[in-house]
This record gives sequence, C-alpha cells and structure tokens, in this order.
Amino acid sequence: MEKTQQKPLWGPKKPLKSSYDAVIVGGGLHGLATAYFLARDHGITDVAVIDKNFIGYGGAGRNTAIVRANQRTQENVPLYKEALDLWPVLTKELDFNLMFNNCGNLNLMHSEAAMKAARMNISTAQFLGVESHLLDKKQVKDLEPALNVSEDIVYPIHGAMFHPPGGILRHDAVVWGLAKGVAGYGGDIHQQTEVTAINTEKGKIASVDTSAGSIKTPKVLVAAGGYSAAIINMMLGIRLPISVLTIQAMVTQPLKPLLDHVVSSGAYHVYCNQTLKGEIATGAHMDAWPNYTTLTTAHYIKHQAEALTQFLPCLAGLKFMRIWGGLADMTPDMAPIMDGNDHIRGFFMDCGWGYFGFKSCTSTGKYMAEFMATDEYPEMLKPFTLRRYEQHRLMGETPALVNYSPDN
Amino acid sequence: MMNRITNLPTLKIDPSKAVSLKYHDIPYQGCAGDTVATALYAGGVRIFGRSLKYHRPRGLYSLDGECSNTCMEIDAIPNERSENLPARDGMVVREQNVKGSAEHDKLSFIDKLDWAMPAGFYYHTMHKPAALWPLAMKQIRKAAGLGRLSPDFRQTGRFDEIFPSTEVCVIGGGPSGMQAALSAAEQGLRVILLEARPWLGGFYDYRTVQDDHAVPLYERGRKLAEKVSAHPGIRVLTHTSLVGTYNNGLVTAFRRGSSEDSFAERYIEIRAKSVVVATGCIERPLLFENNERPGVMQAGCAHRLLNTFGILPGKTAVFAVGHDLGLEAALDLHDQGVNIACIADLRTEGQNPDLLKALESRDITYQPGQTALEAHGKKLLTGVVLGSMDGSSQKTLPCDLLVASAGLTPVSGPLTINKGSVAYDAHTGSFLPDKLPENTRVAGRILGLGDPEAIEASGHLAGLQAAQDCGLDSAADLQKAEQALAELPGPEKGTDFVIGPVSGRKSFICFDEDTTIKNIKQAINKGFDVPELIKRFTSAGTGPGQGGIPDHNLPLFTALYQGSAQESVRPTNRRPPLTPIFLSTYAGRNHDMAKRTPMHDRQKQDGGIFRRLGVWRRARYFSEDLSCRQEVENVRSNVGIFDGSTLGKFRIHGPDCLKALDRVFVSDMHKVKQGRIKYTAMCNEDGCVIDDGVITKMGENDYFFTTSTGRAGATVEWIRYHTRYEGRDFHMVNLTDAFGVINLSGPNARKVIEKVVDQDISNEALPFSGVKGFSIGQNVEVFVMRLGFVGELSYEIHVPSSYMESVWDLLLEAGQEFGIMNFGVEAQNVLRMEKGHIILGQESEQRTNLLDVHLGFLWHRDKPEAKTVGSLALKQAEQDPDRLKLVGLKMQEAKVPGDGCVIVDESRIRGYVCTIRKSFSVDGIVGLALVEGPLAKPGSVVSIYEDECKGNLLKADVVPLPFYDPEGARMKA
Ligand SMILES: Cc1cc2nc3c(=O)[nH]c(=O)nc-3n(C[C@H](O)[C@H](O)[C@H](O)COP(=O)(O)OP(=O)(O)OC[C@H]3O[C@@H](n4cnc5c(N)ncnc54)[C@H](O)[C@@H]3O)c2cc1C
Repeated sequence: MEKTQQKPLWGPKKPLKSSYDAVIVGGGLHGLATAYFLARDHGITDVAVIDKNFIGYGGAGRNTAIVRANQRTQENVPLYKEALDLWPVLTKELDFNLMFNNCGNLNLMHSEAAMKAARMNISTAQFLGVESHLLDKKQVKDLEPALNVSEDIVYPIHGAMFHPPGGILRHDAVVWGLAKGVAGYGGDIHQQTEVTAINTEKGKIASVDTSAGSIKTPKVLVAAGGYSAAIINMMLGIRLPISVLTIQAMVTQPLKPLLDHVVSSGAYHVYCNQTLKGEIATGAHMDAWPNYTTLTTAHYIKHQAEALTQFLPCLAGLKFMRIWGGLADMTPDMAPIMDGNDHIRGFFMDCGWGYFGFKSCTSTGKYMAEFMATDEYPEMLKPFTLRRYEQHRLMGETPALVNYSPDN
Repeated sequence: MMNRITNLPTLKIDPSKAVSLKYHDIPYQGCAGDTVATALYAGGVRIFGRSLKYHRPRGLYSLDGECSNTCMEIDAIPNERSENLPARDGMVVREQNVKGSAEHDKLSFIDKLDWAMPAGFYYHTMHKPAALWPLAMKQIRKAAGLGRLSPDFRQTGRFDEIFPSTEVCVIGGGPSGMQAALSAAEQGLRVILLEARPWLGGFYDYRTVQDDHAVPLYERGRKLAEKVSAHPGIRVLTHTSLVGTYNNGLVTAFRRGSSEDSFAERYIEIRAKSVVVATGCIERPLLFENNERPGVMQAGCAHRLLNTFGILPGKTAVFAVGHDLGLEAALDLHDQGVNIACIADLRTEGQNPDLLKALESRDITYQPGQTALEAHGKKLLTGVVLGSMDGSSQKTLPCDLLVASAGLTPVSGPLTINKGSVAYDAHTGSFLPDKLPENTRVAGRILGLGDPEAIEASGHLAGLQAAQDCGLDSAADLQKAEQALAELPGPEKGTDFVIGPVSGRKSFICFDEDTTIKNIKQAINKGFDVPELIKRFTSAGTGPGQGGIPDHNLPLFTALYQGSAQESVRPTNRRPPLTPIFLSTYAGRNHDMAKRTPMHDRQKQDGGIFRRLGVWRRARYFSEDLSCRQEVENVRSNVGIFDGSTLGKFRIHGPDCLKALDRVFVSDMHKVKQGRIKYTAMCNEDGCVIDDGVITKMGENDYFFTTSTGRAGATVEWIRYHTRYEGRDFHMVNLTDAFGVINLSGPNARKVIEKVVDQDISNEALPFSGVKGFSIGQNVEVFVMRLGFVGELSYEIHVPSSYMESVWDLLLEAGQEFGIMNFGVEAQNVLRMEKGHIILGQESEQRTNLLDVHLGFLWHRDKPEAKTVGSLALKQAEQDPDRLKLVGLKMQEAKVPGDGCVIVDESRIRGYVCTIRKSFSVDGIVGLALVEGPLAKPGSVVSIYEDECKGNLLKADVVPLPFYDPEGARMKA
C-alpha cells in the first residue's frame, strides 16, 4: 500500500537501552513536560519516558483541559500563573499549536458565603499580580447571556469570579507537542512498556525493571497520574495520603458558538465550556468513593444534566453524546505532592494532581526538571513536600475540609 | 397518497393520515408513521445538510442514526436525527452547517481544499505568528459545530423519569430479543423489553423473503410481536433507546412519548437481575471514493424506504454489497419498478442460492467479486465506477441510487461499555462478543448469526440463561436449547474487504468529521498507530454518530495498512450514551431535595428572604436592608426570635456512650452534668475543628448534644467510624428533624418566656449554662437551654417539631408588649461576631485547628480511657508559631472591606478577613480574621488588601475579643 509523506511525530520506535541518565514513569503531561525541560534547561537528554499503554492514556488524554491561576493560596497561585504563561512559549518552541483558547473562566457564586470565598481568591490573585474580578449577577449575565440569573433555581446566582487569563487548551495537543519536543532533543519515549519494579541500593535508586527489560539509572521520577500512589507504595513501600477516585467528563453534540467562557459552579458541582469543536464539555465531581476504575456511572451524567439545565436552561435542548472517566489522585488538602531525594536518593515524585494536573503541567515539569537536574529542591516546590502531612500542615487550597472516604 | 406505494403489507405508515412539515418555508406532506427525513425524502429532498469540514452535500444513508448526515434543526432544536424523529404536524425544519442552503452552500468550495488540511493539520498551522491564533480561533469556532442553539431557547414538554426494577431486561425487540423475552417470561419471570423503533420486529419487519415454511419474515415477526405483547410477564417499551449499561444490571434508556403519552420524553433507569443484549447488527459502510454522495445509501435504508415507508429510493440503482440482505433489497426494489443496473457483490461464495436464482429470473446483472470504487456526481449521485477488488475491469454505470454496504457489524456497545469485550472473528470478518459483563447474555445477529431459525433459537437460549442468572434451575431446558441451536446454521461468512485500490482522498471512513482513508494513513505515518490514537488525532468517530460509521472499518484498515493481523488491532472504545439523549430527558423532573424547618411558612409570611444552606432552606434576612440593622438592634435592646431548628440534635445512650463521646469530643466528657450544658468541639485527625455544640447529661449513660447545621448529616457515621474497633456498646438517635429550636434572645427574653412556661425561670432557677424541662401552653413539653451565642440573655427552646408553630405563636403573643421581632441568619451572624463567637467554616477552614481559634481550653490533653481524635496533631501544633490565628480587627478608617479580603505585608499574604461589619452595637467597623501567629498579638496593625484596591491598603488594629460585652454580663443576666 502506498505511503504518504509524514514522519512520526515523536520519532521512530527505538529499542529500550540498558541504561539512562533518568527514567520517567508515566507518559502523561507531567512526565513528558519534565523530560522536555530536563533537555531544554539542563541539557539532560538521555532520558526514557516509559508508558504502560500509550502516551496520553491516563488523565492526560481524558481531561477537559481547563487552565487558570486563581487558586486560593499564595503557595499555589504562582505555580499556576507560570504554567499559564508557558502556553504561548511552548506553542512557539514546540512549533505545535496547543490551541490555547484564552476565553477566561467564570466561576459562579450562589451564596453570600461563596462570594466571600471568591473575594479571598480574587484578592489573593490580584495581590500576586494575577487578573481576577468579582462580578455581580448583572455583569455575569452580560458576559454569558445564556445564564439564568433569576431566583427560580435551587441555587440562584449571586455573582461570579471572573478570571480572564484562564481558558482551555487542546489536551491531546499538549501531550503530542511535548512528546515531539522530547523526541526532538533526543529523548526516548517507550510506549506499551510497563515499569514493574524500581530498585534501590543503599538508599539510592539503582535501576528500573520494565516489561521490555531492565534499565540502570540513578534517577527515577514517578509521574504516573492516578497510578502513582500505587506504584510508589508497591515498588518503594512509601505510603502516600492519596485516595484515587473516578472522575467523569462528557460532551454534548457539537454546535455553533454559544458559550464564550469556562463556566463553573461549586454549588452545583459542575463546570462546562464549549470546545473549539463546538461541543459543550462538562465535568463532574468525583465519584464519592475510592475506585481505581475509569467506568462511568448513570448517576453523574444525570446529575450534570440536572445541574446544567438549571443555570444554563437552553442546554436542555442539547444532547449528550459521549461520557468517559479517568482517575483523580486526591490528597487530603487538594494540593499535589512534589518531592524527591528524601526517603530515597534519586527518587522523585510528582503526584496527587487530582483533577487539576493539566493546568499545572508546564511549570511543574520545569521545576521538577530543575529538581532532578540540580538535586536542589526549588523554592517553588517546597510547600508541596510530603512531610507537610506528618506535620499536620495542610495547604488550605480548599476552604472546606475534604473527605473522600471515611479514612482520610 | 401521492408518490407512495401504498399496497405493501410491510408498510408502517398510514397513507390516509397526512402530516405537514415546513422546510425552507415550503410545506412538505408526509404521512403518519413517517420520520422527518422520510417525509422530506418522499417530497424530493435529497440533500439534508452539509458536512462539518468540507461542506459536502449529505443525504439519507442508514435510517438508523449512525451519522450526522440527516441531523437537522427541528423546532429550534439543533442536531435532531431527522431520520429517526417521528414527523409531527407543524414541525419547522432547517438544514445545518450551511451558508445559503443545503442545495446551494456557498462554502462548498472548501471541499477542494482538502490538500491543505491533512490529518491534524490544525496542530501544525495557525500558531505562527502568535497574533494570528486568536483570529483564526474565532473562525474555527464559527466553522465548527453543526447546529445552532439560541441562548434563549427553552425546552417545552414534560420530561419525567421512572426507575423500574425487573428480573430480566432484554435490549432489542428483534426476533432474538422477542424470543429471549418469551422464554424468560415463560419461566415466570418479569421481563422488560426495550426497542428503539416504534414497533417490535427488528430486521424481520421489512423483509419479504420466506422462511422454510414459506412464511414471509415480516409476518413471522408480527406473529412473534403479538405473542410478546400479549404476554402478561413482558413489559414492552417501544420507542425506547438504550443509553447505558452498568454493573449490577443497571440499564438506562429513554422513551419518546407519542401524542397519547403524558410525557415528551421519559428517562428510564432499570435494575435487572439479568440483561439480554439482542441488539443485532448495523451495516458496515463500504469504502470507496465519494462513498457518501447523496444517492449512496445502505441496503437496509433503501429497503426500508420502500417496504416500511412506501418510498421508491431512486429510479436506476446500482448495488455494491457484501451480504444477502443487499440481494433481498435489490429484488424488492426491482419488483416495485426500480431499474437495477447491476449488483456488484464482494463475495464469490456463500450467497443464498435462492436469491441468486431470483436475480437470474429477473435478468438482473449480478457480478460477484466486484465492488464500487468511485461514485460520480457533483451534488447528487450520477454514476458509479465498479470494478474488481484489485481495481481491474472497471466500468462506469449511470445511476441515481447506489446501494452500498460491506456487510454487517454487530452492535456490541451495550457489552463493551460495561466491561465486556469483543474479539476479531475471521469467519464473519467482525468483532464478535468475547467476554460478557456479569449476568449478561447475548442473542441473535450480534453473534454473527444470519439464519432466522438460529437467531430465534439463540434468543430462546438466552432467555433461559437469563432465568438461570435469576436463580431458576433450568438446566434441562438449557441443554435442549443449546442442542437445538447447535443443530442450526452458525455464523454467516462475512467479508473483511476494506477498500479497493483508490487514493482514499475522498473515501470517508467517518462522515461526521469528514475523515478520509487518506487521513488515516497520514495519522498512522505520524506515529498514531492504534485506533484509539488515530481516533484522537483525526477525530474519526467523535461526532454526533460516534463510532456508528467508523467503528468497524477503522481497526480493519489500520491492520491492513500496517500489514498486521486483524486480531492484533483493537477497535476504539465505545462510550455511553449509546443514543444521544437530551439534557432535559436526563434531568427529568429535577426535584430539589431541600429540607424546610417547621417555621418555614411562617417566616415566609413574615417577609423572610430565604437561602439554601446545605440541605436546608433558611431565612437569612427579614428586610431588604441586608445589613439587618433593625433585626440586630432589636435583639440588643428588646428581644428577637430566631428559628434554629436546623441545628443537629442527637441522643446517645448505652453503657459505653461516654467512652464514645470522649473519643470524638475534645473535652473530658465525664464532667458533663445533668441540668448543665457544656460547650465543646470535635476535631479531625489533623486537629482541625470540624464541629462545635453543646452537650448535657439526661440520665445515667444518656446524653443529648447538638451539632452545627452542616455536620448533622455526618455525625452518626463519624462517631461510629471512630469507635469501630473497640466494640463499644452505645446507641445514637438523630433527633435533628424531631425537634425544632427557637432561640429567644435579648434583654426582654426572660419577660417573654416567663409568661408561657409552667415553672420558675428566674436567673436562679435557670442560670446561664443551665438546662431544664418546662411545659408550655399547658401540655407541650420543651427543654430550655441558657446560651449566649449572640451575647444577650438567650433561651434555646427545643420543641417537638409538630408543636413548633404553636409554641412560636405563644411566644410571639407574649412578646408583643416587649417588642419581639424575627431575626435571621445574617443578623445572628453579626450579633455573634460582635461577641467574638466563631462559626465553623466562616472563621475556620481546613488549616484551622482548635488552638488557632482559641478553643484550646476545651481540650483535655490526656484522657485515661480514650485517645481523642486530633489530640496528637494538636500536641504537635502547639510548637508551631506560624499558624493562622483568630483575631479581632478594628478598622482604622471608615471603609468596610468585604469578607474574604487578604491581609498582607509588602511581599506576602499573612491572613484574611473572615467576617467584618460596621457594628451597630459597638463603635466602629469590627471583624474577625485569621492571621499568622506573629501578627496576632493585640496592638499590632495589619494591612488589608481588598480586591480592586490597586495597592491602596486599608489598616486595621488587632484588638482583643470580644468586641461586645467582654464581661458577659448581658448573657448571664
Ligand atoms: C475527566 C477528567 C477531567 C480533568 N479535567 C482537568 C482540567 O480541566 N484541568 C486540569 O488541570 N486537570 C484536569 N484533570 C486532571 C489531569 O488530567 C491529571 O491531573 C493529569 O493528567 C495527571 O498527570 P499526568 O498527565 O502526568 O498523568 P496521566 O496522564 O494520568 O499519566 C499516567 C500515565 O502513566 C502510565 N502508567 C501507569 N502505570 C504505569 C507503569 N507501571 N509503568 C509505566 N507507565 C505507567 C499510564 O499508562 C498513563 O499514561 C482531569 C482529569 C480527568 C480524569
């Protein structure tokens, strides 16, 4: 059969070498981004990114790609802000259109208490140089005419947190673009290869076993999304305070432009936006119990419809077309764990990203790369140490106490 | 009726009943039983819309909704599948994705620009220079999407929901599904049978070929349908589309209402013990150049247009098929006057000889081993190039109808979305069911069967297997049924032909996304080497029809192109909903499950403005003045009445109840006495305060306590969870809804209450922190606590819910002369803030522990018999100076910052304002804040950064708490 002229985007398939300067477990956003920055910023290119399935199989290929930098605490905002700033930079560097739709996020508030919570995020953002504003309901309606701002719904809209710098990207493009970048620098991406053991010698990383053979390496990063906690526990015996839950997202049939922002609502536990393809993509809250499957449920798609048709009543005339599930690895304070060289020298982890690990992957990759290359814990990452849980110092990223299961 | 064939026994339309639609402002006459698309087709419409990317004309292709070709805007609703939607009088229909009309689309030139749009081209373009992208994106958004929805659109009609449970749920009302339903029902089981079409019969109902007893299949189908419909154990839900299958036998579907039904659409969630999937097959699209030109349609589509709807689909037809169903269609079309120019059949063996004979007797040209290579025609089909599969012996035939079908493909979505799997089967060329979900059975054509007897026998067997799932012992019957099936013909031979030797530039593997075979090659060359990745890169199978068109061809082509075995290539994952479903249908009645207190209506009458707080609706304000000045001042100077019924209320009793309490509450619970209340708190393992409330002893090993409104739902589980290992013997009763609570606060409170209670309620008889039972209005037993949350003389009166209104009325009457007035949640918020009392969640968050809010005095460090939840963390936190601490703030200037403002220094955020108000009771603007330890000392000055302040900070002094009545004289009065 005749072949067309394209070249493989992330290089031809290569055999697994018997040693690498660093091995990254997980070909998701964080793994690929770290590999990219290891090469770009530190000249470390002898790196293997290893994925059990294919790149983008995990959260990287299932998320709704919402980005923003209006988090609650000053430890978080700068990391996410830098991540936002990196999208245009990477688009250029990778020469790959990541399709950043800088449409802004409209986070609806349905009570006085929520308005107060919003003000805290907004003041924090503004203080840290990030644009974010508190809107009343009239302003909200002007921005997004499809919203129902009347009193006749369960949680009437009081106002919103409007965050213009945020938006959505094309999640697959980020995976493929980063993979292209990694391969461009000479890094190896091994798909359909499972990491089966991480071996240590005298408290140091020594090698990694995979389904395609063993690799000698002094440095390992586990960035395997929802699978990280299990891998780190089973292969290294480090138990993380992480619950893995199913999280679902779905899209309607595509239509011409209707929504111009990412619209989200904490009270209704729902967010939605219109993709460049025209679908209304909407994400659900996590399933209420730990679960390692990516199965969808009848409950959440119904819940989404109930919620959306309240504050965006026109959506009642749309049809859902596809729902899927992924994993959210949740820590007790809804902030990730980025740590390394602590329990085991040469071992790094980047996990606990739950349902917010897309928006952060660029800056996280940059700092994790710095950490791995220099062995010095970057200031930006220090607040995310695993030790904070031992010290009962939660990060305050969510105001409310988090309870995914009775045991955490 | 005009242009219909009305004498066919298979018709499902009623030609005597006209239905009138409007399309392009022109009326179209259909008849009862038509779908929108068949009515339009009968009226001559051939182009129903334009494709997503290339604006190619698109027409009727499958009649089963596998693609967006016939998606139209109907009565302002976008993306309606006109080929499935029953036509109703007065419908207004519009085509989609056109500039101009479906016939004359000004954007049709884009079809020539495909060279500029290889697979994933948008990833490689439009980002250089960066300024181009936002502009390009606007255009992309406009170009993308199919239908249009107005932001002011409102869905009309009634949408409801039912949740039936049953023993067996059969999905698919074709012959095998009907047999399965019958055999299960005959075992005495309750059966629900789902069928997407408005009638039962499946692939029998339009077919005229005869079975071995010379009975035409449609007649055989009708008899079966009558039997099924008459069976009392079978609930037949026609016009019901499957949406999802889940574990534990959960099946979701929705039913479209007819004019006789009380609903427009009904969401159905079925819980079954066993599920039989008898969803049969759809057709596998045939790939060739211009394979979706209007005029090209699948065999079932052409056949049903004629036999079901009485419409001749064309004048001169060419067939390019790979299955006997195509031959049957050709015969029926021929007999009704369609000129069959030629039948090209992919197969060279395995055809039904009777059909071949019938073709021969009609002089129909039949060419085995041939197929379509290219369709001609600018907008509509004008001809077709036929040739051998290797591309040789080509010839062009003029025609206006090309019936094209590669064969059949099982509808396995109901299995694979629920952890089932499929595996490639070389005999049928199909992906057949492999692993089945738990308690799920399959029957019929989905197994590759084609012989009617075998199909029905497999249904019979599946019904018995389902009975076995339900616990019935049907071993003997099962064996017989298995035997019977084994003696009948097995799966039909199918073809794995994918595409002839064409460029693939206009061979569409996915219609909805305009994905061509060429695009698939491009994707594979770029390293997207498995169907799941190809799907993502090319969008194939992500449109309104989902995998309906590409699901089968994509893995076959991927294997072919890569030269790998078909077995090694996995099809892409199917996802629910298997049929697109309105959000309004999913939402159903959308009940709000809120709780109301016993005083809800009364407070509403009194002008209460309500807010939803967790599960409750509560009165937040009693006037439009949201500062609540009048409510606040009346409490401070007279007396206010407040509905506190949402408080959590619990009784805990039994020999070990004290140990349980000691475990979860921070205080030494042995000190709780009868007649007295104790304020205490609960922490989680991090020492964070999760709840506070009061507790009193009612008797030996018998306690009553209150929790905050928000925690009431979780309290029992929390206590059970934290005592789970010790085998503690105690009971808990949640009395939250059994009792209402009236809070009577203000200097006149005693004067009011003493008028209605039966005993002495003086300060001596019921001092601050006391609790006592009283009788009100002769016989209502209440108990009264002396508390001081709002900082005044206060009585918290716990009243059986059913007496709440009576007691409330008595108090109002008694309070008239003392100026009694309602106060709401916001007034309470202000009052307690002035008193320096915290509300959890308002002055605390996940980082805040007991010590941070100065409640350390409640904590008993070392209990002999219990480790207090959170105690360990509290001990560690004692050493930690930087935590956020609760402080009182007093503004230096006259501006009131909003709640939530942050407290900063030059470079960092040091805390935030929790609640701050202009006080009516004390001088100035005061509030509560959480600030880092070093700033928390009275006397320090903090800077407040309010949103939009542009760096102009507000100053406040940290002052001691409380602001109001520091000695507590008023509440103890
Ligand atoms: C439905 C959904 C919606 C979301 N929406 C958003 C959003 O809008 N915004 C946002 O910021 N975030 C969102 N997220 C979260 C985000 O997708 C994840 O946090 C992020 O993708 C996780 O990081 P990752 O991409 O590096 O990991 P993943 O993509 O999960 O990668 C993990 C990889 O590890 C591989 N792997 C597992 N075990 C092994 C092994 N033993 N050996 C080798 N490889 C292995 C897997 O195959 C997988 O490819 C969402 C997530 C989901 C599921």
